[in-house]
Amino acid sequence: MADLDLIDIEKHFGTNWVIRKLNLRISQGEFVVLLGPSGCGKTTTLRAIAGLEEIDSGEIRIDGKRVESLPPSERDIAFVFQLYSLYPHLTAFENIAFPLRALRISNREVREKVTSVAKVLRIEHLLNKRPSALAGGDMQRVTIGRALVRRPKAILMDEPIGALDAKLREEMRVELRRLHIENKSTTIYVTHDQVEAMSMGDRIAIMNEGVLQQVGSPTEVYSWPANLFVAQFVGSPIMNVQNCQLEASDGMTKVRLDGMETPFQFGGELYGRVAAAGHVDIALGVRPEAILVELAQRPAYVPGEVRIIEPQGAYDILDIRIGQAVVRARTRSRFVTRLQEPVWVQLDEARTHFFDKKSGLALTSQK
Amino acid sequence: MANLTLKNLCKSFGDVVAVRNLSLNIHEGEFFVLLGPTGAGKTTSLRCIAGLEKPDSGEIWIGENLVNEWSAANRDVALVFQQYSLYPNYTVRKNLEFPLRSRLRRLPGKEIGPRVEKAAEALRIAHLLDRRTDKLSGGEMQRVAIGRAIVREPRLFLMDEPLSNVDAKLRELLRSELRGLQLKLGATLVFVTHDQVEAMTMGDRIGVLNHGELIQVGTPYEVYNSPQNTFVASFVGAPAINLFDATLDGDKLVVTPQKFELGLEAATRARLNQIVCGRKNVRVGVRPEHVNLVSNGGLAGTLYGAEDHGVEMILSISVADHLIRATLPATTRIPVNAPVQIAFAQDNLHFFDPQTTKNLVAT
Repeated sequence: MADLDLIDIEKHFGTNWVIRKLNLRISQGEFVVLLGPSGCGKTTTLRAIAGLEEIDSGEIRIDGKRVESLPPSERDIAFVFQLYSLYPHLTAFENIAFPLRALRISNREVREKVTSVAKVLRIEHLLNKRPSALAGGDMQRVTIGRALVRRPKAILMDEPIGALDAKLREEMRVELRRLHIENKSTTIYVTHDQVEAMSMGDRIAIMNEGVLQQVGSPTEVYSWPANLFVAQFVGSPIMNVQNCQLEASDGMTKVRLDGMETPFQFGGELYGRVAAAGHVDIALGVRPEAILVELAQRPAYVPGEVRIIEPQGAYDILDIRIGQAVVRARTRSRFVTRLQEPVWVQLDEARTHFFDKKSGLALTSQK
Repeated sequence: MANLTLKNLCKSFGDVVAVRNLSLNIHEGEFFVLLGPTGAGKTTSLRCIAGLEKPDSGEIWIGENLVNEWSAANRDVALVFQQYSLYPNYTVRKNLEFPLRSRLRRLPGKEIGPRVEKAAEALRIAHLLDRRTDKLSGGEMQRVAIGRAIVREPRLFLMDEPLSNVDAKLRELLRSELRGLQLKLGATLVFVTHDQVEAMTMGDRIGVLNHGELIQVGTPYEVYNSPQNTFVASFVGAPAINLFDATLDGDKLVVTPQKFELGLEAATRARLNQIVCGRKNVRVGVRPEHVNLVSNGGLAGTLYGAEDHGVEMILSISVADHLIRATLPATTRIPVNAPVQIAFAQDNLHFFDPQTTKNLVAT
C-alpha cells in the first residue's frame, strides 16, 4: 500500500472545467471519500488516478513516483465499479483468482491467496458458487475480493454499494469499513451519498463543480463546514440556512432572522468578528439538533409556532415558524404533539454558524 | 375532497398475486402512505384506485360512489408519477391549464387563470409560469407536475414515488412542502413509496405492504413503536432494529449460552411471562437508540465498527456471533476492537414469535 499525491490536477472538456487545481494527499492506509453531487468531478478524478482518463495538467504520484504517463495496468491500482462485473460462468473462487492467473504463479499459491482474502471477506463458504447464485452483498464482496487479491497499492471504488437496497447498504457500510481496518489498504471511495461518506471515511474531500471545497474528518466537515455548500451537502436533515441581521447592543449581539421581533441574544464578540469586519449580507446556519426547543417560556428564548411534525421514529423533526423564517429542529419523539402549538426557541451559540452570502465562506472563529 | 374505501381488493397477474384481499379506510383530508419494498403491491393498488387497472374482485369506493366500473377520467382523481410527464414544448402556464381545458370539465375561460395562479402560488412556481418546462430543474418540474394535479381540485390525489427522482437535499425540501400543501388544502392523498423515511415524515397513517398483503396500518408512531411483526420492525427505522433469537430460562434470556445472556429486570420478566404463554423461544427486537454503553454489569462485547454521522455515532458491537447496532451521542469516542459493555432499555424491548414473526404484545 502506498501514499498518493494529486498535485494541481486540471481537466476540461472544451470550455467546461471538470477538475480545477485539485490538490490532495492521501496517506498510506487511509480511507478517503470523494463526495459531491453528480457532475462535480469526483468520478473523473478517480478515473484519472486509475489511468482511465487523461489529465490536462498536474501530477499524480504514487509513492512519490509520477504515473500520469503510465497505462492503467502499470499503476498497480485496483478499481471496483458500481456494477458487479463478475464473470457469470466462473465460480466465486475463479472470479477472485482471475487477476492472479496472468501472473503465472503456482496453483497452490493462488489457492492460498484466494482463501486468505475470502476469509477476511467471510465468503469462504461461497467460493464454489457462481455469481447468479449469490446475493447482492455477497457479489459485492467477491468483486472486492478480486480487487484485494493482488495486494494492489491502492483500491479505488466508484459508488460500489449505490445499487443495493437501503438495509443491505447499511450492512455493507460497516463491512467495507471493517475490511479497511483489517487490511489497511489505501482506499479512495467515490460517492454522492453523504451518509456513506460520513460513516466510512477517515477523511472526506468534498467537491463541487470541479473544485475541492473542503477536506477533513467527518467531525470536521460536519461541525466546521468551510462554506455554505459543504454546510448544506453534509448532514441530514440539512442545515438550516437563513438570512440574518446583526446588531450590537449592550455588549451583546442581537441576531434577527427575517421578520423576527424578539432577537436571539449572542455574545458581543460575534458582532465584531462578523458585521464589523465588513460583511454585509450574512447567512446564519444551524443544524436541527442545535436548535433548542421548549414548551414554556424561558429567558432568552423566542416564540415560534410548529407548522409540521415529521416523525423519524427515534426522534422528531419540527418545522417551526420564527418571524417569516421556517427552521427545522430536532426534538425527542413526541415532544410536540399538536400542530400550531406555540414553542420557545433558542439557538446553541457554539453550534451556530455564520456565512458571507456573497462568497459563501464561513465566518466562524473555531478551529 | 373525499374519503376512500377499499373492500377485499384482489388483483393477480397470471399466477402472481399482486394484491391480496386489501381492505382500507382512508379518511377525508388524510395523508395516507402505502409503504413497502419492490413487488409489495403498492403501485398495483394505486393503479386500481386510479382506474388504470381493473381489480379481479373487491370494491373501490370514492366518497359515496362505488367506482369499480367508472373510467379513470370519471373518477376525478389526480395522479402524480415519478416521471414528470409534462408537455416539454409548452410553458408552465399551458401545462397547468391543460387539465382544466379538458372536455370533461369545461371550465369557463375566466376561471382558469385564477386557478392556475393560485396553484402556482401555493407551489412557489408563480415566477416560472411563462417558462418552458424543458428549461426547468428537476425539482421545479416535479412542482409543476404536482401543480397540474392541484388545479383540477380533484376528489383524491394519488402519488406514486413522486420524489424519488430528485436529489436528497431537494427531496427533503419537497417532503415538507408537499406535507404543508396537503395540510393547507385539506386534501385526501394516497402516497406510494418504498422509502420509510418519506412514509414516516409525511403520513398521517402508514399502510405497510409486503407480498401483496397489508401487514399493518397505523400512525408513524404506532408503526415504529409497536410493529406488528418482524418485517415491519426491520423495514421501518434506520439504522435497522436489532433482532436475535433467545430462549427464556428463568430470569434470563439466553441467546448464546455464557456469551450472550440477558438478565431480565423484574418488570420485563413479568411482561414476558404474560405474553409468552409457556413458550420458551422468542425473537427479541431492540432499536439502536435503546442500546446503551455501561461501565460495568453489562453484556460484554467488542467494538466492530463506528460510524460518525455528525449528529450521532452509530456503533456496531459484536457480542458472541451477533452484531448489535447502537445509536450514541456524537461525542462517543471508542477505538475499534476495544472491549465494551452494553445494556438494553428493557421497557423498549420487543418480543416476537419466532415462527409466525408476529409481535407477541400486539396479538
